Amino acid sequence: MDISEFIDPEKGLIRGEIFHNKEIYDQELEQVFARSWCFLAHDSMIPDSGDFIQNYIGEDPVLVVRQKDGSVKAFLNQCRHRGMRICRAERGNTSNFMCSFHGWNYGLDGEVIHIPHEKEIYDNLDPEVFRATQVRLANYKGFIFGTWDETVADFEEYMGDFAWYFDAYIDRFEGGMEVVGVHKWVLPANWKFNAEQPASDMYHGEVSHASAFQVMMPISEEDGAPPPWVMQQLGVLSEPAGFQFSAPNGHGTGWFKGGMPLMDETIMNWHQSTREEVSERLGEERFDLAGHANIFPNFMMLSNYTFRVTHPRGPDEMEIWAWSMAPKNASAEVKDAIRLDILRTFSPAGMFEQDDAVNWEEEQRIMRGHMARQKPLIYQQMIGQARYDADGLPGKTVDHVYAEEAARGMYQHYADLMSGKPWPELEKIKKAREQKERDEIAARASPAPKTAAGGGQ
Amino acid sequence: MNKPTRVPHLFRRPEQLAPADVPMETAYQLEQFLYAEAELLDAWQFNDWLALMAPDVHYWAPVRENRLAREAEQEMYPPGTAAHFDENFKMLGQRVARLYTHMSWSESPASRTRHLISNVRAHVTDNPDEFRVQSSFHVYRTSSERHQDSVIGRRYDLLRRADNDYGFQIADRTVVFDMSMLLVKNLSSFY
Repeated sequence: MDISEFIDPEKGLIRGEIFHNKEIYDQELEQVFARSWCFLAHDSMIPDSGDFIQNYIGEDPVLVVRQKDGSVKAFLNQCRHRGMRICRAERGNTSNFMCSFHGWNYGLDGEVIHIPHEKEIYDNLDPEVFRATQVRLANYKGFIFGTWDETVADFEEYMGDFAWYFDAYIDRFEGGMEVVGVHKWVLPANWKFNAEQPASDMYHGEVSHASAFQVMMPISEEDGAPPPWVMQQLGVLSEPAGFQFSAPNGHGTGWFKGGMPLMDETIMNWHQSTREEVSERLGEERFDLAGHANIFPNFMMLSNYTFRVTHPRGPDEMEIWAWSMAPKNASAEVKDAIRLDILRTFSPAGMFEQDDAVNWEEEQRIMRGHMARQKPLIYQQMIGQARYDADGLPGKTVDHVYAEEAARGMYQHYADLMSGKPWPELEKIKKAREQKERDEIAARASPAPKTAAGGGQ
Repeated sequence: MNKPTRVPHLFRRPEQLAPADVPMETAYQLEQFLYAEAELLDAWQFNDWLALMAPDVHYWAPVRENRLAREAEQEMYPPGTAAHFDENFKMLGQRVARLYTHMSWSESPASRTRHLISNVRAHVTDNPDEFRVQSSFHVYRTSSERHQDSVIGRRYDLLRRADNDYGFQIADRTVVFDMSMLLVKNLSSFY
């Protein structure tokens, strides 16, 4: 199905059909999820030999397993015999995986190690045929991503300039991150409604989350007013400034100048105390650079150390799998403050998250309508304002924290993948597109004289 | 976090499985208290509900997971790890205040809930004014035009006699939802 008529990134117009149509959804599983790098696990989720967790690439369940030699392997959690789920636990430790249908037994690496009555009933076992379908893996600073696609670029190249921004979330501290909590829940909405938000939408916060800001703001017991440090944090919201970044492969991030407002005093004090360490590690310019982000298609994060995937479950349903993380070397007090802050904000009972759910539910519900899918939705904030490598920021950015450059980038890349063109061709298209945009920006900055050959612009 | 401290499975603790041992009149008072609490929640009297919490209350709801049979004892995350609620009195107060901002969009317009409480069983403790009370709940919710869902589970409370209209305060509550992955869009009520 040609979906190009629904997406016009240059004009910032996107029709709701892409959130509603079952045929488009099925095409996403093949063209988007099966051809992208998807988040599967963090090293701290599977520290010891035999530790495993199950995750998904799209609708395909994947077992991610720590091997005896300390490496990680991942394979489709589907028995090669009749397609039964090999392992039915979400997490655990084991020496092997036995399918409970006919008893085929798989090693930690997905190789078949035992088939009942094998000698009597099979001529030969070709490991190429019998092994569980393997996932191509990459480990970026403890974050494990997987893809089925052999032609997509290596993970770091796939991230491109976004790696520099990603580090501002996950590589701030010696020792890296560890998991301190997890939540999984189901929402009646398309996965992209969630994904585009951490990619590109700081704008919704002041209205969607107004109630949470109001009640979580600490107030002094003496006069009932917020103490000065709180007023300083909230000041970021009253005069919003910052940047948004958009990557050719659909990743996006945005952040406030001065950093995300913090409402928990323990976390705020700790955060400020890390300025020197983080600045030494990443450069001072990246201390405040974390806000919201998405690695296309569906690995999202916020500066408060919540990380999530939205697994697609049909055009009108997603599963949100969210992990709370904390710097491994932070004090127990700080880690617990981070854990509590996330569960009270961005979990299904969280005071921010509850309200996001309603937005996405209603958006989805309305897309059932005919007229609701005719006029395109408007993704035009800061359109035509992109610059490259400006203000010390690698790649394409716009100079406002409220923008939709990253959403346009996300849906441009989505449309590229959905075209079905192979990765090598897409890479050429993206390079040419970027060059054209860079040339146009350069031409605007120093217009050619009208008398020049070709009449200038 | 992969190796949580093993805690006895919440559902299988001998003291909770033991026959109820409070006098009939006490059992009646405890049940009536839980019904009154449910009614306050369904009536959107959240400040009155909050007043039923002891100042030292701990309101906690652990996350659960599908585990291998031999790891079944680890299916609930222990205290200090993954939880849906992990609140003290002040934190609950923030959640209540949010509902009255008229900008808590998940509950504005408000959902309609019915807290059905059953299977109440109570045990005495070393303190004559405190009782361990278990109860099952079914919270049915409708919202917007046609959203509906149910959240079902069991609560493990420590109820303390108190000088208030309803006779008790909630000193401790553990809420165990009967879902691992939550099949609801959010947990915007109290349970």
